[in-house]
Amino acid sequence: MNFREREVKIAYIREAILCISIGTLTGLVVYQLFLYFKIAIFGWNFGLIFAPLIAGYVETILANRIIGENIGAISAFILFAYTTIYSFILKNPSLGFNLITIGSFAVILQAAFPTAVNFIIITVGFGTLSYLLGIFKRITTYFYNKLEYVYYKYILKKPYIIKIETVEPFDEKRSNEVINKLDFYFITETGVLDKKFINLGQFHATVIVEKDKRLIHTKQEHIELTTLNNLKNAKDKCLIKLAKNVKYAGGNGVINLKIEYGLIGLGGDSYQITAMGMGIYIK
Amino acid sequence: MILTSANILQTKKIVEYKGLVTGESLIGSNIYKDLFSGVRDVVAGRTSQYEEELQKARNIALKIMEEKAESLGANAIVGLKISYDNLGGTMGNTILVTAYGTAVKAE
Repeated sequence: MNFREREVKIAYIREAILCISIGTLTGLVVYQLFLYFKIAIFGWNFGLIFAPLIAGYVETILANRIIGENIGAISAFILFAYTTIYSFILKNPSLGFNLITIGSFAVILQAAFPTAVNFIIITVGFGTLSYLLGIFKRITTYFYNKLEYVYYKYILKKPYIIKIETVEPFDEKRSNEVINKLDFYFITETGVLDKKFINLGQFHATVIVEKDKRLIHTKQEHIELTTLNNLKNAKDKCLIKLAKNVKYAGGNGVINLKIEYGLIGLGGDSYQITAMGMGIYIK
Repeated sequence: MILTSANILQTKKIVEYKGLVTGESLIGSNIYKDLFSGVRDVVAGRTSQYEEELQKARNIALKIMEEKAESLGANAIVGLKISYDNLGGTMGNTILVTAYGTAVKAE
């Protein structure tokens, strides 16, 4: 750090301290005014919220004018600490640290670091919610099935007929035949016997399937079976698509074939299947 | 049935390609497992159970694949790939196990 940079930095700190102290002073004056005129509802003074906010506001405006950037509403923190200590601990020790202090602390933090705090609120909030909903769906389905059984047995006095549709097992044999009768070489490794081949470049094919979204009347195991069957069908479709792409380019096979499965969409509500490989023409 | 992830067989020679064979299976999860998985994390029972489940799923996938290869008249699978993909689900417990390879005839 040379002399010039150091001078600039000292000037910056001086200006910042000036902004913070003016902001803090304004906040203190506002807080005293609120206390003097007793602007309160149910004994709770509005100054607790407004004084830190006004302090932060004044500081930010001054900082933007003088320095040209935001310095993080430090006076709001100072004012918040001051108001909390003054009103909750010195004046009214029985209240202590309660929901209002936590709430006002959140507001101050949000004003100081909007992006970070909003990010945390959204990710943590929505994450927790979807996590809980996932469990609750399981639990409610479980109890729904149990209750329905009891209802049929003791109230209707009828045999309980399971209304859950059965999932047909996937026809592996047919799928195997379909894939291997395309007159096309699907080879997962790189060697092709001793035959010569022409390289046609990399080929991709993607298929997207949506998740099953029915909520009730399906057992968890059935959902999983349906998912697996859908994925198997989609994989066959994907391979046929890849073969079509390569055939269109004049090839008759792929080597180093890879099939990948992934989750896409908002909240992972769809599956993506990608098949890729080097398209070749085998003589 | 010889399974290998390489493209050569040391003692045998690949004579003919029979085609692509695939096998998939899904590890589901049930309500009790999910609810008490947190407890089992503490007493370290979860990992071994999940390893068992994974092994079971892998064996199913390999078995489907081998049956397909047999029906094609192959006696070995080369270029074998096994992959594990997380498909979300409650607590990310739904795992798809896929196995695929090239069915070949070797002599």
